[in-house]
Amino acid sequence: MKYADWPLSAPVNITWEITHQCNLKCAHCLSSSSVASPGELSLDECRGIVDQLADLKVFEINFGGGEPLLKEYFLPLLRYIHTKGIVTCVSTNGTVLTDEAVEVFAGSPLVNVQVSLDGATAEVNDRIRGRGTYERIIRGIERLAGKNISLSINTVVTSYNYAQLDRLKALAASYGARLRVSRFRPSGRARESWEALKLGPEQLRELSGWLSGEPSILTGDSFFSISQDGRRHLGLDMCGACKMTCCIDPVGDVFPCAFMQSPEFCGGNLREKTFKEIWDNAPAFRYFRRLEPESCKKCPRFENCRGGCPAVAYFLSGDLNSPDPECLMSWSRHTPQAI
Amino acid sequence: MPFRLADGVQVRRESWGLLFYRQADHKLSFVRSGDWLRPAYFNGSWGLESITGDIARRTGVPVEIIERSLPPLASRLADSRVISNEVR
Repeated sequence: MKYADWPLSAPVNITWEITHQCNLKCAHCLSSSSVASPGELSLDECRGIVDQLADLKVFEINFGGGEPLLKEYFLPLLRYIHTKGIVTCVSTNGTVLTDEAVEVFAGSPLVNVQVSLDGATAEVNDRIRGRGTYERIIRGIERLAGKNISLSINTVVTSYNYAQLDRLKALAASYGARLRVSRFRPSGRARESWEALKLGPEQLRELSGWLSGEPSILTGDSFFSISQDGRRHLGLDMCGACKMTCCIDPVGDVFPCAFMQSPEFCGGNLREKTFKEIWDNAPAFRYFRRLEPESCKKCPRFENCRGGCPAVAYFLSGDLNSPDPECLMSWSRHTPQAI
Repeated sequence: MPFRLADGVQVRRESWGLLFYRQADHKLSFVRSGDWLRPAYFNGSWGLESITGDIARRTGVPVEIIERSLPPLASRLADSRVISNEVR
């Protein structure tokens, strides 16, 4: 579909990084989280933002960070959002769950909980998320399982864990959860670990094939540019940044997506402008809505991905008009049997 | 029989029509209905007849044309599980 034919008055969903504080220091963290940023939004400010999003009928807010459960007002904020009827997804590392958090999650049909786990074994997971984290994450998943909570396990697919996807799927199923896989992108701390953790062409080919055969695996909008056509109906066929989604950071800056949090892409700050003003008028947002890499327009798969992920293209080439270097056409040059 | 949104479905108005969101699978339905349909039509108090009359009154489109177009559209939305006319 072409966005120009279906412009949206507001995002469908928003990624909200509520804090940069995190008790883990994962090698691939997209926001380099560790300590809270100076001037993070207050609860009153967050409520005001929620009021705006509710008025605009934004359907979903996806919380990440940082570890959202470390934000002192996170659970009251979540309850407030649910009073507005907005669906939430909480992305947590699962290691700091409290009884109150579990109770809030179990008590609302509007919340989805996603626990991050980057390997089916401690050996693999702990290389990315830190020593001892596998056991702590599994204990967190056990606390959430069986409580009628919409639960998924999220794995960022890297060279360390891609061979464990079937085991991760089985692990998730054993807790009544679904496996969601996310794309590893070179933003935040992942820029430093990119070379070690990125998938090679052959691994991308295998992943693409695996996804085609696993329609129950959740992917969000992660893999539309590297997937073959059999999976397209399960998700977007274009980058949703500034078209269907955007990202709010802990101090209220609004960006095209969680992976594009560089100052040059900031649409504005919610302490200075309304969300609607930023969504409608920010130059960066208008630019992203028109963005279609020139070099992709002659590609036979252009209608399938419209250039792929600009975040990966930008951080690897420095040029938003570059094609997604991991798109199916790119890795197929190295693995010609793929298409 | 009045229409209502199916459970776990939300809807909002866009410049080109209505955007439906289904929580269960996070799916969207884009309905290019222009100014014909309004989210309020699915609040459980509007049936085909009253919706038709309201569209005709607001837009000036002849009732016969609306009566030809509206039932198939309502069926498609029901098939997509975004609206329902089942008694709750």
